[in-house]
Amino acid sequence: MDRIPDLRHFETDLAPGAVPFGVSVAGLTVGFLFPREVSLDPLVERYRPFLTGEEPAVAFRVAPGWEAYLEMAADRFLRLEERPLGEGRILLSHGFAAYRAGRRGVVRVSAPPPSPPFLQAVENVLRWTVADLALESEGFVLHSAGIVRQGKACLFFGPSGAGKSTVASLSPGCPLLSDDLVLLLKRDGRFLAATTPFAGTLPQGEKHPGIFPLAGLFRLRKAPEDRLEALPRPLAVASLAAACPFVTAAADREGRLIPLLEDLTGQTPVFDLHFTKSASFWSLLESEVLHGRADGPPA
Amino acid sequence: MVEQTVHRRNPDVSWRVIEGQAVLVFNIEGEVQVLNEVGTYIWEHVEDQDVETLAGNIAKTFAVSEEEARRDLLAFLQDLRKSGALL
Repeated sequence: MDRIPDLRHFETDLAPGAVPFGVSVAGLTVGFLFPREVSLDPLVERYRPFLTGEEPAVAFRVAPGWEAYLEMAADRFLRLEERPLGEGRILLSHGFAAYRAGRRGVVRVSAPPPSPPFLQAVENVLRWTVADLALESEGFVLHSAGIVRQGKACLFFGPSGAGKSTVASLSPGCPLLSDDLVLLLKRDGRFLAATTPFAGTLPQGEKHPGIFPLAGLFRLRKAPEDRLEALPRPLAVASLAAACPFVTAAADREGRLIPLLEDLTGQTPVFDLHFTKSASFWSLLESEVLHGRADGPPA
Repeated sequence: MVEQTVHRRNPDVSWRVIEGQAVLVFNIEGEVQVLNEVGTYIWEHVEDQDVETLAGNIAKTFAVSEEEARRDLLAFLQDLRKSGALL
């Protein structure tokens, strides 16, 4: 049975000597304070290119939690739920509960490091927090594979199984922003795509954080032949909104996101990419989009 | 029989009209829906016009018969209620 914590569960003091750990995703910084007995080695290994000593925008204290929060489904599917609590919000899964209000938060984790549930808790809290920090600074995160080609970012989005990791695996030699979750930021009126530490199913290698201008956004469609089809702007906005995690759990996030998507789709083309799951789609993109011969964004 | 009630949009559905088409975001379910031109007209006026008035205005605006407008309107309202967009 699910066990939902209340605010008292997140009242915790850290013993002296807590160890700080910070991650920066294109300048959006999230910090953790771990008990001093926790070894940070697996986290350092996982987030190495993104580590920072800067003052975090949001800081979490991390402490042991209950043995379980949300019940795990019979197929071992991990649920992830968010709900309001007090002045903040909580994020819950089987092995952790995180509470955040403003710039402070607490994470209670059921398993000690370096267990997979512990690493998963840190990863999910990072994703959750970066998604909100992005919206506060004219940006958002998109479930997508981001690949840099000719110095420009191509983002491929769609539901699980649509082919995001396949597209990434068919792009050897191209810098990978992520095969799961890419950060977009509006800077000087233009949208840029940034590398994130968030991984899907592909080995991530040693990522090199960077931020790149956008060439286009592509909704993945499996098909017998490669073909591009421009998406009408309302449909483009709706499709992108459906690919943004966490956003719909709170109306204030959606209120920020939709105007951003409207702006984005006015300056960047969005297509349905019908593709055969082979690397041949790159020829199509190179001739039709990267060289500027595709239809521009709707007027 | 014709409905006379004025409907209420679900406050958990955020929406915005983009190039003449309403984009509805269902905040709880995380689903998204795009309405066509007529659907968008209905969605924008559903809280301030009763069904009879709305059907008449649809007929005038989109050059269809009142009977056709009323029939399609009622079916559309039923769909919106079923999806949870209208309370």
